[in-house]
Amino acid sequence: MVRRVFALRTGKLAVGILVFIAMLAILGPILAPHDPLGSTATTLAGPSGKHWLGTDYLGRDVFSRLLAGSRASVVGSVEVALVALVVGVIPGLLSVYLGRVFEWVSLRLADTLIALPFLVFAVAVTALLGNGITQAMFVVGVLVSPLFFRVSRAATLSVARSQYVELALISGASVGWIVRRHAWVKVLPAIAVALAQTMGVGFIIVSSLTFLGIGVQPPAPTWGGLLASDLNYLHFQPYAPVAPAVVIMATVWGCNLLADAIRDVSGENGRALVNSRKARSNRLAAQPLLVESSR
Amino acid sequence: MPAEANPAVLQISDLDVYYGARRRRRQALDGVSLQVSRGETVGLIGETGSGKSTLARTVLGLVPAAAGHIRIDGEAVAGYSRRQWRTLRRRGVIQYVFQDPLRSLDPDVTIEDSLIEPLLIQGVGRTEALRRVRPLLQRVHLDTELLARLPGELSGGQRQRIAVARALVTEPELVILDEPVSALDSANRVEVLEILKQLRAAGVALVFISHDLGSVAGIADRVAVMYQGRLVETGPTRQVITAPQHVYTRLLVGSAPTLHSAAADRAERAALRAALQHV
Repeated sequence: MVRRVFALRTGKLAVGILVFIAMLAILGPILAPHDPLGSTATTLAGPSGKHWLGTDYLGRDVFSRLLAGSRASVVGSVEVALVALVVGVIPGLLSVYLGRVFEWVSLRLADTLIALPFLVFAVAVTALLGNGITQAMFVVGVLVSPLFFRVSRAATLSVARSQYVELALISGASVGWIVRRHAWVKVLPAIAVALAQTMGVGFIIVSSLTFLGIGVQPPAPTWGGLLASDLNYLHFQPYAPVAPAVVIMATVWGCNLLADAIRDVSGENGRALVNSRKARSNRLAAQPLLVESSR
Repeated sequence: MPAEANPAVLQISDLDVYYGARRRRRQALDGVSLQVSRGETVGLIGETGSGKSTLARTVLGLVPAAAGHIRIDGEAVAGYSRRQWRTLRRRGVIQYVFQDPLRSLDPDVTIEDSLIEPLLIQGVGRTEALRRVRPLLQRVHLDTELLARLPGELSGGQRQRIAVARALVTEPELVILDEPVSALDSANRVEVLEILKQLRAAGVALVFISHDLGSVAGIADRVAVMYQGRLVETGPTRQVITAPQHVYTRLLVGSAPTLHSAAADRAERAALRAALQHV
């Protein structure tokens, strides 16, 4: 699977982008040329040799804030994705197999989560578990998990009624066997696409929570927070939102590319792709012969 | 030998099966009794919706029985828990072949992995499983180079032969075949039927489900005819074909295409159909 993803040009590009973002998250705070929290007298300055991306409304260096904020943003959205995976995908897969009671309960829980007012839930959880980025991301992960629940359940349902699953059952397969051997591969592409989307939405939600004082506290920088504060000063610095928007877009784009690549190489599609490539290279190899024989 | 003490590999008595609940509940099987001896080939005939596949699925534990008894290899399975079913199934006594080989093989799993799956579930190691699978491929006239392919890269006939080979890996006593040749063209049909005959010669009991008496006549020792959830006639193949007792069987026999005048047949069939309304 990994090798097949790398065989695709988009797969390479996606992994490249994501590795770059990950490096940014690891090294960003160290590389920042200025103190991301230190304000100066020159507020809302344009880009210059000293401040590459200018300064914000408190005179803080935007480039440094962007680098320093990368870790919280990336770790945050990864955490959202992981929580959503665990809380959504695993029950989604099992809801098909673990009998009616589990199915009914998990479906109602998913419906409840969809109906739950987002802000009320976020405030309640931070009141319960304390305020912090981990808790905030947990909230977000739980709230987007119904999407993952539905997606993985739908994909599993189509597999569960299939004859090859019945044949495996007739041979004495357990639920775990069927999930590992048959269901997982069909569910993976659908989840990968949902995951890429969630990563993107995650950045935006982190910033909107910051705005309410939940999760990352205001002076600490995040990409979403930068975007939000830049939007308030759009009149003075119309170009300012571009920098945080570009990094957010690049990350989401990388995730989407990777999801597409995974979908393209998994299962039957992937096999068809590999075969068509093989056929093409065979044709190319055969071409000189054809030309000679036509002479 | 215990095999001689209990010659039946499958014993079904007074089996009732219902689908749906409460007001939508309807009976799919009504008092079905059938016995399959070791090495015997039984043709199970009936029209769509007559309960043939339900009977097979009940035997395999995929559909719960409301009443009656099923004995598989001497073991009474009525009221078995999921765990008990799993233990029984892992012995691989009964295997099943579906009608459509395109859907009965996982499109994302290679032929090799599909074939050895029943053995892996039993806990057999991968190398040992592969060693056991190779001679089976010869038995179904397929090349070992197909092992690395996916089902989508095989023809329908090849896929169905893979499905048959897969049913044989656990060395079953009984193979239930649900219309195994109706999705195939005539050349492949002959080939698969030939493989099944070899199986019968090797002493494997077969239950051959079909809607068409003709396709079963050449291979079955006995024929059981189902109509609307009931077993209406059972007997040696020759007897059922030459002297059908039940009106429905007479209609089935009459429906087989023949070379002589069709007009007389048509009138006779119409009369039989009218008689069937009153059964």
